[in-house]
Amino acid sequence: MSTDLAVVTLGRAAYAETLHLQRDLARRRISGDLSRDLLLLVEHPPVVTLGRSTQPQHLATPREFLAARGIEVHEIERGGDVTFHGPGQLVGYPIYRLSEHREDLHWFLRQLEQALIETLAPFGIAGERRAGFTGVWTGGRKIASIGIHVRQWVTWHGFALNVTTDLSYFDLIVPCGIPDVVMTSMQRELDARAPRDLWTRAMEGVMLGFAEVFGQRPQLLALEELAGGSGDAGGGGDG
Amino acid sequence: MATKVFMEALSPTMEEGRIASWVKQEGESVAQGDVLAEVETDKAIMELQARGEGILRKILVPAGGTTEVGGLVAVIAAADEDIAGLVAGQQAPPAGAAARPAAAPAAPATAAPRPPPAAGAREPSGRVKASPLARRLASEKGLDLRGLDGSGPGGRIIKRDVLAAPTAAAALQGKAGEWEDVIPTQLRKTIARRLVQSLGPVPHFFLTTEIDMERALDARETLNAIGDGKISVNDIVIKVVAMALRQHRECNAWWQDDHIRYFDDVHIAMAVAIEDGLITPVIRAAHAKSLRTIAAESRALAERARARKLQPEEYTGGTFSLSNLGMLGIDEFTAVINPPEAGILAVGAVTEKPVVVDGAVTVRRRMRVTMSCDHRVIDGAMGARFLQTVRRMLEQPLAIVW
Repeated sequence: MSTDLAVVTLGRAAYAETLHLQRDLARRRISGDLSRDLLLLVEHPPVVTLGRSTQPQHLATPREFLAARGIEVHEIERGGDVTFHGPGQLVGYPIYRLSEHREDLHWFLRQLEQALIETLAPFGIAGERRAGFTGVWTGGRKIASIGIHVRQWVTWHGFALNVTTDLSYFDLIVPCGIPDVVMTSMQRELDARAPRDLWTRAMEGVMLGFAEVFGQRPQLLALEELAGGSGDAGGGGDG
Repeated sequence: MATKVFMEALSPTMEEGRIASWVKQEGESVAQGDVLAEVETDKAIMELQARGEGILRKILVPAGGTTEVGGLVAVIAAADEDIAGLVAGQQAPPAGAAARPAAAPAAPATAAPRPPPAAGAREPSGRVKASPLARRLASEKGLDLRGLDGSGPGGRIIKRDVLAAPTAAAALQGKAGEWEDVIPTQLRKTIARRLVQSLGPVPHFFLTTEIDMERALDARETLNAIGDGKISVNDIVIKVVAMALRQHRECNAWWQDDHIRYFDDVHIAMAVAIEDGLITPVIRAAHAKSLRTIAAESRALAERARARKLQPEEYTGGTFSLSNLGMLGIDEFTAVINPPEAGILAVGAVTEKPVVVDGAVTVRRRMRVTMSCDHRVIDGAMGARFLQTVRRMLEQPLAIVW
């Protein structure tokens, strides 16, 4: 089992670029070129992604309108429905070789939820699961979304935790008036109690959450430092 | 040599898997390791890879279809290899299907009637019995086999049936009167999920009462004659329900699994029909607001709801819901609780009815309301006492200022 977890923070990066990077890293994890599990942490400019179970009409807002607001739309291979990524949202892409943990996607989804629940706990936010759904809620509001893709038991895609996300963006894709899909953020939950360095602390919290739940030692690395000989760690990948 | 492709388990407890999509199509050549299809569980997609090479000759489970783990989903073989034996064995319902409820292969006559007349060509697993040639022709013509009558043995759809069928466009028109398949919108799906979530685990019970609305309507006329804004029956009901809930805090509550949260303030969520669903904007602290304020707020919220302009804080945090279908001519109905709230009042239309008053039959304007209660929070007598207060207040509307 992979006892080390390489955590790479990418800062703010374009969705497409990061997708290429993920696919490339996943391929290298499959081939054994990368010997450790990876967790990429990133913040995206506004983007709407359509998962495999999305019907085009779930995108309630015309694409032209989204484009006018500077929001890209990507159709991708992860599980799940339509979602939004944008500033203030901490997006994590765990590239894990499950054959070194458990070959069980449901287990992995629950582990991701648990890692996020652990992330939230020190802030006094009680993260919850919802039976039959994937993701993390608090007080009935959804705070983190999860969707993954797996090839040969190596995962990519992952989770999106709303830290200081502008939640009005979600109205563009899920115009629901029903508490079930009311989105929230750590900022909104904490309100005046939010620490000033919420973003940094959320990022640390995620690392600790993963360490705790997967029993791994997280190590912060730069992309270039990832071990393995192929040397194309800069991404670009196969797309 | 042919390679069978089986449904793989995404987790040890998974019993069946759903094919999200086929990446390769029948007739395409595949190499070892190629991604053939994607298998889906709730929020995970796993690639199904080829463990052999050749031509993807046969897809047995179409995209969107489900089969048990270990079930055959496709066959890879050389172009000229005979795979009829492999495939034919699988056309019969899998052993596991026998355990499925309502699947009674021996007695198709007892199956529930379904719109398509081709029930005979359908196997319990939902697959349509058709010859390979018929399938190919149908796919070329863009026809859905499920809409066809089979004239082959055992209702099997054969070439002749496909050729005799009208084209796809015509078939659609022909079906228009019978049914229409519409992919649910996100909102519709959410409503569906919420309601299942409610009626499933929430033990509902229902209490109905009929209320004499003569005085309330008279009061409304008087108020509308002197005031600037219009007050609706629904506004009066909101106000009265909010005030009654102040007296019956036991009905103004949220079920929270490990605890029940009772609210002092009454936030009334009112169901508003919008173009493709419904939404429940909330009138906060309705018990403390004047009828005039409630009327103005409910109108503004309903308009904003229809324009889809509500902010999340405007449609969350209700402590009790109201649903009124009176304006649509519904006399009486039951509503589904909006969890975690413990109650919802379904309000019917005000109608003139003959009733006996002091031993004589007279015509009165009456309204029927039905309260749905979450029995984990509200017991029968509790709900009944609350409804009694609502009824008394509406029948003596002066109570609003009391």
